[in-house]
Amino acid sequence: MKIDVPIEQLLRWRLARAEAEAPAPLRAARLLHLARPWWELLPERFDHLIQRLRTIHVEFGHAMADPNQSPTGYRVATLIAGEVENVETAARILYLSAHSARLRMRFELEQRNMPAAIEVTLVDEQTGQPLLCASATLSLESEYRFEVELPPELARSWQRLKVTDRMPFRFLIRAGKDT
Amino acid sequence: MRFVWFWTFWHWSKESFRSGALLRGPLEGIAGHWDEWFRHEAAESDLKAIEEAGRNQSVQREFIAWIFRHWARDTEWRGKRLVPRFVVNQLAGVPPFHQRSAFEKYRTSYRLPGVSALVLGDKSAGMPEDVRPVEAILLPTNATGQPTVSEGFQPDAAELAAARLSAESLLSGKGLLRFLARWIVSGKRPYPRWLSTAVFSGWAALGGLTMFLLLGPEPGDKLYFLCAALVGIWALLILITAAALGWQCFRAWRTGVGFRRQLEVDQVRLRMNGGLALKGGSAGLPFCLNILLALYRACPDGARHSWIWRRFFGELHSNASGWAGTGVITAEGRLTPVVLEPKLHACVKSESIRHVITPRQRGANLDSVDRLIEESPATAKESPTTRLPSPAMRLGFAAEKRRLQIHPCRHIGQAMMAIGFFDDRRQVATNLFAVAISATILMALPDLRSILVPPPAPMAVEPASSSPYYLWVSLDTKYPDCFSAVLESGYWSNRRSDVKLRGGVKPSVRAEIQLHRLIGRTASNNDDGIVWIERRRHFLGREFLPGERVGRYSIVYLTHIGHE
Repeated sequence: MKIDVPIEQLLRWRLARAEAEAPAPLRAARLLHLARPWWELLPERFDHLIQRLRTIHVEFGHAMADPNQSPTGYRVATLIAGEVENVETAARILYLSAHSARLRMRFELEQRNMPAAIEVTLVDEQTGQPLLCASATLSLESEYRFEVELPPELARSWQRLKVTDRMPFRFLIRAGKDT
Repeated sequence: MRFVWFWTFWHWSKESFRSGALLRGPLEGIAGHWDEWFRHEAAESDLKAIEEAGRNQSVQREFIAWIFRHWARDTEWRGKRLVPRFVVNQLAGVPPFHQRSAFEKYRTSYRLPGVSALVLGDKSAGMPEDVRPVEAILLPTNATGQPTVSEGFQPDAAELAAARLSAESLLSGKGLLRFLARWIVSGKRPYPRWLSTAVFSGWAALGGLTMFLLLGPEPGDKLYFLCAALVGIWALLILITAAALGWQCFRAWRTGVGFRRQLEVDQVRLRMNGGLALKGGSAGLPFCLNILLALYRACPDGARHSWIWRRFFGELHSNASGWAGTGVITAEGRLTPVVLEPKLHACVKSESIRHVITPRQRGANLDSVDRLIEESPATAKESPTTRLPSPAMRLGFAAEKRRLQIHPCRHIGQAMMAIGFFDDRRQVATNLFAVAISATILMALPDLRSILVPPPAPMAVEPASSSPYYLWVSLDTKYPDCFSAVLESGYWSNRRSDVKLRGGVKPSVRAEIQLHRLIGRTASNNDDGIVWIERRRHFLGREFLPGERVGRYSIVYLTHIGHE
């Protein structure tokens, strides 16, 4: 076996081999397609899910006996879009920080046994329009966290939002192969 | 100040909670808060210091010790013993502590063993793994309004609520009343040995006195002193017993109320590892017992004024890992039947379980346990395969045969009796004896009263007998049983007659004496005779010799009374 090969020649050989084995680059159209949010790619499914999501009512009836009771936050109506069935549930916002045009959020799902990574779409409570989409990861038992850039108009209006306020959005969660 | 970064985190957490960025309180949500702070908020210098604090196991242990000894003291939960334990447990599951070896033992446990739950795995016929350790901890915070939180399993919310309510009932409700009633009947007493002996001797003396009065020789003049001793000793024993029981019940109630108030404001966290989604409510009983144990562990001084609670919690705290329980529990503390045989199988196979509490149902008895032990392959005799250092040495088997104790209960109060080992057969025997003696004395109380506090001497009143053959001795008394009339005459034959309430044309309280002339007497002496009124003394069915004479009347007076 010949061992006195210059290193430059060896690197060129390795590069040529890697290029030969690499998959073909995606076309620009395909890249643009992939960059679009999922609700634009699957508008009919999104409409169907939004209709279902808007039917969920999560309301508190305040029958407090203790005047010193701490606020326990509002639950956020949540629809988990599965491959086989959609599950209506609720989430509790545990941490919310909307500063410097970035949203950091932790929430707890009432539905247990969820995968470690899910895709969360925040949908406007009033209009049903999608606001933003983020990947959330499991942090603790049934507690998810995500961080996402906020559009300027949301960054302004959500800056003073507290976890104990009624949330101006609902959750649409996708957890499956199509995410 | 080596761990100043923890204070930085802590103040960030408190400030974020105050400003509304965090929903849970700093303590309740410490794991998630730390995760967020560590990922996004910690400064470069903090991260370096945190890394430094995990350099080796010794420094890691130092940090844990600092949490226990220093941090906990400087927070508002000073003196709350379980808070640092909870903090370390929560931190052990998040980065970077989740990879640090010193936190290993805190990762899946609070290291506070509790009463195990018997929860069968899918299609299990009863394996040692089905005996599932349960731990409970009490947190002095409840910012999110969840009174009971489950960790490591998914319960039915109603089941947790029922367990909590039944614990409250046992602390100061119907549950405690049921327990106290049972304890009064058959429970061990907190008396010193000399007092127990004195009380027992007192009841024995009462038994002896009662038998003497019923069957013994005629006491004569000593009757008064014997009856006085009987009533005096009985009253003293009743007083001592009532005072001791009343005081213990009062202290138990007060202590229970204190614990209940604590439970109402604090959050209970129940941990059972394994990620089970519970189907059915048979873990309700162990949950309830562990909630009680968590209360005690959070504040052991709370039980110091009540001997009952001290004993119960002391036994539960020191032997909790040897106990297992199963049973659906209602909010009132009643236990309803469950699937039992596979659970007993699991207990028999488990190395650690010595006692199991079950609902009172079919199969919940020692015979069933013995049968299961016989059937268990673990009891099959194994041949000794141990290699001995010398052929001359022989093995000597001095192993004690393990026996699983089963405690069938209908109510959580009964479970408390079992765990505290309150049942005392000697006390039951003493109580039965005392009840029998007391019932006898109560029945004899009118007789004793007439001996000790005799009624006033009566006067002879009308009506007199209209018949020449009868002498009526009518008396103005409300206690006819306490008197008799005795005729002493040289003309008429002597006679004795009891005073009774008599009816007829002229009803009255009187003695009727039939007059019989003695042989050989002339009619001129027919007024000869004296009627004495004597006190009668009796004890239950026994009549003693007559007592003091309290009246003397001539026949003439008695026959003419009302006819003047």
